[in-house]
Amino acid sequence: MQAGLESALAELVLGPPVEPQELGALLSRHALEPAERAAIEAAPERFLVYRKLVRNTLRNALALAIPRTMARLGPLFDQTFERFLAERGPRTHYLRDVTTELLDFAAPLWAADPRFPAWAHDLARHEALEIVVASLGEAVVPRELGPLDAERPLAFIEAVRIVRYAFAVHRLPASEDDRSEPVREPTALFAYRDAEHDVRYLELTPLAADFVERLLAGESMKTALLGACAAFGTEPAAALPGTAALLSDLSLRGALLGQAGAESLRAPAETSDHRGTLREKGHP
Amino acid sequence: MKEDRRALPNGVGLGLRWEFLEEVLDGPPLAVDFFEVSPENYMRRGGYYPAALERVRARYPIVTHGLTLSLGAHAPPDAEYLAELTTEVERLRTPWHSDHLAFTSAGARAFHELLPLPFTRDAARRVADRLEALAETLGRPVAVENVTYYALPGPTELSEGDFLGELFERTRAGLLFDVNNVYVNAQNHGFDAEHALASFPLERAVEVHVAGHTHTASGLILDTHGAPVAGPVLALLGQALERTGRVPVLLERDNDVPPLAELVAEVGTIRAVCEHAWQASSRAAATRPVEAHASRA
Repeated sequence: MQAGLESALAELVLGPPVEPQELGALLSRHALEPAERAAIEAAPERFLVYRKLVRNTLRNALALAIPRTMARLGPLFDQTFERFLAERGPRTHYLRDVTTELLDFAAPLWAADPRFPAWAHDLARHEALEIVVASLGEAVVPRELGPLDAERPLAFIEAVRIVRYAFAVHRLPASEDDRSEPVREPTALFAYRDAEHDVRYLELTPLAADFVERLLAGESMKTALLGACAAFGTEPAAALPGTAALLSDLSLRGALLGQAGAESLRAPAETSDHRGTLREKGHP
Repeated sequence: MKEDRRALPNGVGLGLRWEFLEEVLDGPPLAVDFFEVSPENYMRRGGYYPAALERVRARYPIVTHGLTLSLGAHAPPDAEYLAELTTEVERLRTPWHSDHLAFTSAGARAFHELLPLPFTRDAARRVADRLEALAETLGRPVAVENVTYYALPGPTELSEGDFLGELFERTRAGLLFDVNNVYVNAQNHGFDAEHALASFPLERAVEVHVAGHTHTASGLILDTHGAPVAGPVLALLGQALERTGRVPVLLERDNDVPPLAELVAEVGTIRAVCEHAWQASSRAAATRPVEAHASRA
C-alpha cells in the first residue's frame, strides 16, 4: 500500500516546484489511500520541508566534490540539479557517489546545450575525480620495481584511473573565484592515490596513456607497447626508453606494484599518520 | 551474536565527524566514552578514512548508526547495500547496529533524508520483520531510532508510543531513543513531550541520542544537529534515563560543528545530567520492592 505514498512524496520532494492548485493533480497521479491523500492535502507545507532538507543535503555533498564547476555555472548548474532530481534522482546509498550520478546524467544535456561552456563537463569530471580516486581500493606502500618479464602483465594499485579531457582543465587555478578558460588541448591524466593518501595526477602523452590503459586492462608489457605504438604509428624501439622511464616513475610513486601474480603486493593494514587532501563532511 | 564485549560503548559518546577526526586520532585521550559512526561514510571505499577509523577503534569503543537502510520502505532493503553493510559492521565489530524508523528511498530513488512512516499496524509489522531479518543478516543485535517528523503521512491508526509498542512486541530489536526528536515533534505538533515520553517503550532502549535543533522563521523547529542541546531536551533526557537506567548516551553534532573542546565540554554537561538521572534510577530500583511490598500490605 505504501508504494503509492512513496511515489507521491518522491514527486513532491524531488520533482519540479508545485503550485497549490497543482497539488491535487500531482496526488492523483499516484495510488494513494484516501487517508494518505488527506494527510498531504491538510498540510502540504509540512511535506515541502523535505524538499529543502533533501536539496540541502545533496547540494552540500556536490559542493564538496565540484565547487568550481558549481561556482562557474551558477544558475545553469542549478537547472541541471533540478532536472537531475526530477528526472532521475539519486540512486546510490553513498552521498559521495551522487556527484558521479549527476555528471553522468548531465553529460548529454551539457553537450547539447550551447549555454554550457564546452569545457564544463571536463572540469566537473576532473574535480569529482579527486573523491573517486581517494576512495578507491586498499592502502599501498611504494616498493622497488624488480626485474620485469615483458611477456607478462603488470600489477597496479587499485586507486588509479586514466582520464581524458578535451580541455586542459587540470591546469586551471584552484580558486573558486577564477573564471579563466582552459585551453582546448587533448589531455590524458594518470590519477592515483599515493601512500600519503594524497590524490596526484601525472600528465601523459597520448601514446603513454594508451600504453598504460592497455597495461591496466591486463595486457603484457610487450603486447601493450606494440599495440600502443601501432595505434600511434610509432616505432617500438623509439618508444622503449620513454616506456622504461614511465614504468620506473610509476613504481617510485607507488602506483605500479610490479609483475602481476607476485605475492605480497598489497600493503599491510594502513598505519600512516598522514591524511589525504580530501575532507568530506560527516553526515548526520 | 558476535559482540566484542571489550569494546562495548558505555557512558556518554560523541558522533565522529571528519571535522575533528585528526584531533581524535592524534590528540590526548578525550573525556568521551565512545564514538558513533555512520558506516555509509566508510563502506565500499579505501584510502584515508577507513584506515583512520581503524585507528580510532583502537583507542575508543565504536558503534555504528546507519542512514540509508530505508527500513520502513515498501520495498525490502537493497541486498547489495546489506551485503556491504554486513562486511563493514563485521570489520568494525560494532556491538550493535542501528538505523531509523523511516524510509529513505522510493523505489530506486534515494532521498538521503529520513521520511516518516504512517503510524499503522502494517508499518509496525513490516519494520519489525525487517529488524529481525537484519539482526540475522548482520549477526549482531540491531536497534531502531524514533525520528523527527514534520508531517505524518496518515492514516494515523496509532499514537507514536503505541506504534512503537506494536513494533517492539514483534521484534527483539532495541530502541535507539532520540530525545531531541521527541521534543521537536512535540513542539511542532503541539503535544506535551513529557506526556509522550510516558508512552514510549523505554525499557527497550539500548542507546539514547541527544542533539540540538534550530528554530525557523515560520515557527517550525528543525532537527538540524547544528546547535548545543537545548535545556528542555536535557531535562527530558534526565527523565528518560530515570526509566532506561544506564544505557549509552550519544551527542550528535553534524552542522556548524564547533571546536572539539567545546563538544567535549558539552559531553561533560550531558554526563552530569546522566549521572544524576542514573542515580535517581538506581534509588528508584532499590526502593521498588519495598514499595511493592507496602502496596500489597
